[in-house]
Amino acid sequence: MLPKLTRAQHHDLYYYLRLNRRVDEQLVSLYRQGKVVGGVYSSLGQEAISVGTAYALEEQDVIGPMIRNVGAVLVRGYRPRDVFLQYLARRDGPTGGREANTHFGDVARGVIAPISMLGEMVPVLAGVALAAKLRKEKRVALTYVGDGATSTGQFHEGLNFAAVEKLPLLIIVENNGWAYSTPVEKQMAIRDIAERAQGYGMPATIVDGNDVLKVYAATRLAADRARRGGGPTLIECKTMRMKGHAEHDDARYVPKEILEKWRKKDPLLRFEKHLAQKKLMIAEEKAAIDDRIESEIREDVASAEASPFPAPEEAARPAWA
Amino acid sequence: MATRTSKARSPDPTTLERMLYYLKLTREAEWRIDHALYRQGKIVGGVYVGRGQEAITVGATIQLNPGDVVVPTHRDFSAFVIRGFSLREIYANWLGRADGPTHGRDGSLHFGDMRRGVVAIISHLGSWCPVACGVGLALRRRGQGNVVVVFFGEGTSSEGDVHEAMNLAAVMKLPVVFMCNNNAYAYSTPAEKQYAVKSLAARGPAYGMPGVSVDGNDVLAVYAAARQAIARARAGQGPSFIECKTFRMAGHSAHDAAEYVPEDLRRQWEKKDPIVRLEKLLLARRILTREQIRALEASIQREVDDAIAQAEASPLPEGASALEGVCCGPDCWWKREN
Repeated sequence: MLPKLTRAQHHDLYYYLRLNRRVDEQLVSLYRQGKVVGGVYSSLGQEAISVGTAYALEEQDVIGPMIRNVGAVLVRGYRPRDVFLQYLARRDGPTGGREANTHFGDVARGVIAPISMLGEMVPVLAGVALAAKLRKEKRVALTYVGDGATSTGQFHEGLNFAAVEKLPLLIIVENNGWAYSTPVEKQMAIRDIAERAQGYGMPATIVDGNDVLKVYAATRLAADRARRGGGPTLIECKTMRMKGHAEHDDARYVPKEILEKWRKKDPLLRFEKHLAQKKLMIAEEKAAIDDRIESEIREDVASAEASPFPAPEEAARPAWA
Repeated sequence: MATRTSKARSPDPTTLERMLYYLKLTREAEWRIDHALYRQGKIVGGVYVGRGQEAITVGATIQLNPGDVVVPTHRDFSAFVIRGFSLREIYANWLGRADGPTHGRDGSLHFGDMRRGVVAIISHLGSWCPVACGVGLALRRRGQGNVVVVFFGEGTSSEGDVHEAMNLAAVMKLPVVFMCNNNAYAYSTPAEKQYAVKSLAARGPAYGMPGVSVDGNDVLAVYAAARQAIARARAGQGPSFIECKTFRMAGHSAHDAAEYVPEDLRRQWEKKDPIVRLEKLLLARRILTREQIRALEASIQREVDDAIAQAEASPLPEGASALEGVCCGPDCWWKREN
């Protein structure tokens, strides 16, 4: 049984959900102003997955976020300023202006930088989990894959290895219905990606990816099992990609009715309603958090925009160790 | 779950006799390769045989029609014979001779012929599975009900390419039969360290295709399972996965003494020899007598003797011809026929 979340923890979850949403909106705005170097891949509608999973982990755990997991790195301690500096390719950003969008991380902070090639994070985070097991640490490794990435060979090799070696690895499958323009029905001949797990001999759970508490609970349970030596778990979070694959994709191939249906299940709105109903957050508390987020973002955007670009002379450094 | 074989669905006596022939031919032909020619230093390159696993290839491949395609591995010697390669051609390749299928440029069973419906072996484990899907897609589009049968080991089943192939085949309903030769060892890796499921049949439903597990040393069980899968594929119902449980009776290769395999495990499996089992059945059903089986063995000996003699008498390729056949020239068979 999971311990109940405190009122403060509920507020934390709300804070991160809303922060994720607002950072995302700010990035879109910067992109439309032509200030972003590279693309912007929105996480609109999927915030509960990033926030719920990351919040369920402990200090020593390691995550391997992907393009729609800005919420996860925010939970792990990165600030909006870090994210803006990165997207604006500034010298003081996490990669010194050398990498685009979510491609940043820091092993020391328990964040493995995303690898573009879909599926590759699975074997890599399995490696992190193997190290934890060999060192007898109570550390869990967690990574995210989309429905499209589950068709990659790397996904297969990573999961099979994790299952055989009983590694403390959590695979969060964000089934958002679309892999760029490929709908799930054209991606696989099974209905639930969770069915893949039976082929590896590992447990799987399916959760409503737009319910941050359900996502949190499923992750906590799986993490606890992993820590006890119970091996890996696949958690399939059902959700919907509310925008295009990226800002440069208008996603005209997605039927409008699908988006309408999912708009009603917006994770942020649902959680706000839940908190209001259960009297876990009153209007004043909400306003305080909202205001705090607005001023953080305002300051961080201004700071990032005022930040210098890296000097061209520094371009070759540190390409080599 | 093992598939029961009933007399009603059993192949006819002629097919049963053919099965015995291919099984015994494979056993003898491969014995000559790794116990004679290899030890005499006459083989060019590595030696991989499918001793003990012959029923898997024979049970499936014997059912194919012209126009069907097989994608074999090193453990599938009989696939080449069944599809029309002569023993002479096969030995010529093993011995690197100029008149072999690859004109001495590749060794062992690394050859094929799309006209005979055999895709040449690709070394990189698993990478031939997406290729099988490509063949399946072509066959499906031709609409003549042809199928692809692809073989791979349980070690190979852990490769990413197999995942991509099975998923693609399932989504596109390709006429592919995935035959997994689970011979308990991938080189020195035992099956317990290869996967965490009880049976690889579990992989089937994980992709949305049927998955069964059969006794790979029972040629009739393999035949029955393959028959169903092939029928499904021909009818446009898509792919199937068949795990055939067997044991690798030789090392991974001729240069592998396989000391890591417990001796008693090998002895246990010796008692389940697929050829002995089929012989017993043929004798019990009075389809063949002991004399006829002995005559068959003698005939096979002669056949193999002749093929090896011919291959040994063949010339090695000339050094000056080394670059021929690398690029498709005007005389290329594919150009001539297309």
